[in-house]
Amino acid sequence: MIKIKIRDASQQLFAWVSALITLAACFGIILFLLVKGHGAVTLEFLLTDPNPTFQAEGAGGILAPMAGTFIVTLTGVVIALPWAIATATYLSEYAKKNLATAYLKLAIDVLSGVPTIVIAIFGVALFTNPTLGFLSSMIEGVEGVNKAFGKSFLVCGIGMAIMVLPYMIKTCEEAIKAVPNAFREASLALGASKKITITDVVLPSARRGIITAIILGMGRIIGDTAIVWLLLGGSIRMTGQQPWWHLSNWLSTLQNTGSTLTTYIFLNSPAGEGNKPELAFAASLVLVVIIVFLNAAAGLIGFMGKVKEE
Amino acid sequence: MGNVLVEHPLSKTNGSAPVSDDGCAIVVENVNAWYGRKQVLFNVDMQIKKNEIMAFIGPSGCGKTTLLRCFNRMNDIIKSFRLTGTIKIGDEDITSKNTDVLALRKKVGMVFQQPNPFPMSIFNNLRLPLAENFPDLEKAKIEDIIVQKLKDANIYTEIKDRLHHSALRISGGQQQRLCIARMLTIDPQILLFDEPCASLDPLSTKKIEDLLLQLKEKYTVVIVTHNIEQARRIADNVAFFYTGKLVEMGPAKKLFLAPETEMLERYLSGKF
Amino acid sequence: MAKIFFEDVVKPTVFSKTKISFNLSALYDKLWEYAIFSLAATGAIIIVLIFVFIFMKAWPVFQASGLKVITTSNFEEQIRHAYFAPLDEQLWEFGLLSLIVGSLTTALGALFIAVPAGVGTAVIICEMSSGLLKRFLEAATRLLAAIPSVIYGLVGLMVVIPLISDRLLNVELQIKYLEYFQLNGYSMLAGIIVLSFMIVPLVIALSVDAINAVPRKYREASLALGITKWRTIIKVVIPAAKSGILAGVILAAGRGIGEAIALSMVSGASANMPSLRHGFVFFLTPVLPLASAIINKSQAISVPSIEAALFSCGVILLVICAFLSISTRIVESAVRRRQGLD
Ligand SMILES: Nc1ncnc2c1ncn2[C@@H]1O[C@H](COP(=O)(O)OP(=O)(O)OP(=O)(O)O)[C@@H](O)[C@H]1O
Ligand SMILES: [Mg+2]
Repeated sequence: MIKIKIRDASQQLFAWVSALITLAACFGIILFLLVKGHGAVTLEFLLTDPNPTFQAEGAGGILAPMAGTFIVTLTGVVIALPWAIATATYLSEYAKKNLATAYLKLAIDVLSGVPTIVIAIFGVALFTNPTLGFLSSMIEGVEGVNKAFGKSFLVCGIGMAIMVLPYMIKTCEEAIKAVPNAFREASLALGASKKITITDVVLPSARRGIITAIILGMGRIIGDTAIVWLLLGGSIRMTGQQPWWHLSNWLSTLQNTGSTLTTYIFLNSPAGEGNKPELAFAASLVLVVIIVFLNAAAGLIGFMGKVKEE
Repeated sequence: MGNVLVEHPLSKTNGSAPVSDDGCAIVVENVNAWYGRKQVLFNVDMQIKKNEIMAFIGPSGCGKTTLLRCFNRMNDIIKSFRLTGTIKIGDEDITSKNTDVLALRKKVGMVFQQPNPFPMSIFNNLRLPLAENFPDLEKAKIEDIIVQKLKDANIYTEIKDRLHHSALRISGGQQQRLCIARMLTIDPQILLFDEPCASLDPLSTKKIEDLLLQLKEKYTVVIVTHNIEQARRIADNVAFFYTGKLVEMGPAKKLFLAPETEMLERYLSGKF
Repeated sequence: MAKIFFEDVVKPTVFSKTKISFNLSALYDKLWEYAIFSLAATGAIIIVLIFVFIFMKAWPVFQASGLKVITTSNFEEQIRHAYFAPLDEQLWEFGLLSLIVGSLTTALGALFIAVPAGVGTAVIICEMSSGLLKRFLEAATRLLAAIPSVIYGLVGLMVVIPLISDRLLNVELQIKYLEYFQLNGYSMLAGIIVLSFMIVPLVIALSVDAINAVPRKYREASLALGITKWRTIIKVVIPAAKSGILAGVILAAGRGIGEAIALSMVSGASANMPSLRHGFVFFLTPVLPLASAIINKSQAISVPSIEAALFSCGVILLVICAFLSISTRIVESAVRRRQGLD
């Protein structure tokens, strides 16, 4: 009897301790970043470009990395969204139960399991191909080498799109499947074609899920480092025509490289070359704040959906 | 089939249900019950005699399940549930805070409307409650009891070749009898059945009814049923509920032949 | 957006050709379906392309080394030699065993911690907590899952590494092992700890889903048998949720194997072979998991043979992760079939 009680009590203790460690880890990490990073987060830090230097003074801020994160996220989502919606629509509205559909589903499953670092080197293999040189730039001045550089915001955005595609497909598919069949039947009964039914009835009804998919995709892109490291590169500044923020230079900026918040953190951590952990902490803090906001937005949308149902 | 019931190998009470002084297994006094603000039982008084089958009848939503689930405190898991009054099993008021709920549930077994075997093998379905409630049992003994209880529930011959297959792969009627066997492993004295035949075909229903008639030799049985014919066939006593009130109660023969209230009369003639 | 694309491009041609007779809207519908289908198909083709490109790039290494790729471990030296080899005499022979072992030990170690802790937390979330605590736990899980790996790496670097080198290391130990590797805190153990925190939210999330999906009737059946709430959870609820929990474990395994950045920051970045002969120093060995190798050696990727070596790391990762993804479904449905759930 005593033995049984001890067993149950220790199991429960273990579960509680795990739960509390999870909770503590989450708040611990955020608190740690706050303590270590808040000093460096100033308006100036947010609004100046970084400088590659070994001293903390004059190292500049994170304007370019923030812009880089924004650009990569935007390109990634813009490419992935129509792709994901189309695939999800196909799977839930058109696909018949046959081998091709089974393969498509399997392909999406396998793709979602591919590590981002593998997608990154796939990008390296693909985009150094000279025919895709227009997405980045050609390597010039090296004898006997006919290769594209393979690193740019565009290339990185495409890599990100491939990475988030399976997740966005799944979320969109769930949203589309959740649209009651009665909607479709009503629309079809009114004489609308299947296409109109989908574009004007089904997809609008699934918009909440689609927005969730977008936020989910954004979160994944913002947090990724591996793809940025290999497809955007290790330069901390924008390498296109300066000033990079000038609208007329947009194409040059997209075709050239820069950094994102994640690579900025990596480069400034003791693991990178900069070794200015204060700056890495400050940038981490900014990054976590963005992530928290995205999470809250996703939560809010889910909550609004629930409220509406009731 | 004869009396296949034998003593539980662990039985301490020799199978006699707890009886209060006046020969009743369960005594319900002035019970009121609420889900949140909504009252669902009003001033229910009732006695359930030992080794008899008591049937609860009444239209849907009248509180039969609620009262039944008070007998083994299953309503405890519903947060909004509240109860006043007393329910005595033996000499103990089981509504009290100090009641040992686990011991009570071992004394008062329950079978649900939907057959609910665990998603594991037939054998493990019976082994689980045995191993949990009698941790010192040896393996051989456990196997003996399992076979015995399956026989008690009139199901052993049908499934003896599939003991180690999933319990979800036998018919609904067999699943329900498996659940009865599982309940019997914990050596209860009172058996509660909440519409046990609701999802079964007539043949399976018949088998369960036969089984209930055998079980009452040794156990006190309380059954909720929507099937008046079923109550007529097996019940010794019947309690008729209407909107949370116990309207009429008495020996089955008398109640079905000459209902005292108009309400029961209408119910029996199918007017609800 | 697919719609805009289609209307802009296809509508004018359709219009001009079909003015005369047949049902325009049906054709329109059909074309739209094809457009949708081709977009869906590109997704399916991408995965094939990934396999093809990465295998192709890695091929020279597999050709030159054969089975040695996965049976020998001399990676650091081979990389160094390959780096200094003249362009026309590239060295294509690489042995990745120590990297594979590094990946597997860190991932398995992290699973060893994260699976029980994750399932335990899930049980607390689903069955033992309510109100504010439950909400907090759920939010913490979601946030832990969303924190970028580079931040895990950074925090690991600044917290876990000093902890290990202060508590577990001393000069004697460092000198004793100098002939094998440098002990400085960057280690498999640091990798395991950081990785555990990264994959635990995955295990929690999938276990929570699985536990919530267990029908109430099983719990009621168990409680009605006089079994305590806790034993009901252990003996009935968790077994009934087994298939979903297993799926979470496999997913977490894939994530652990594929994690690059955080591990490259804390696990030592040098391809040593951990050896059980070293006792607990096994865990203190600096290792180089496959995925972090690609990050750590990426500066040298312009050397064709090193590029090929990194791509062969990619091949192994890809094969392992594809295998895991496919086995998720198979394992899940096999378990459910055995339980009789479908
Ligand atoms: N968990 C609950 N929360 C709130 N109200 C409940 C709950 N369970 C039952 N009720 C309400 O209590 C009343 C009595 O329910 P009960 O299940 O006891 O009826 P019943 O007689 O068993 O009906 P049936 O024959 O349909 O099974 C009903 O009005 C029902 O809606
Ligand atoms: Mg009922």
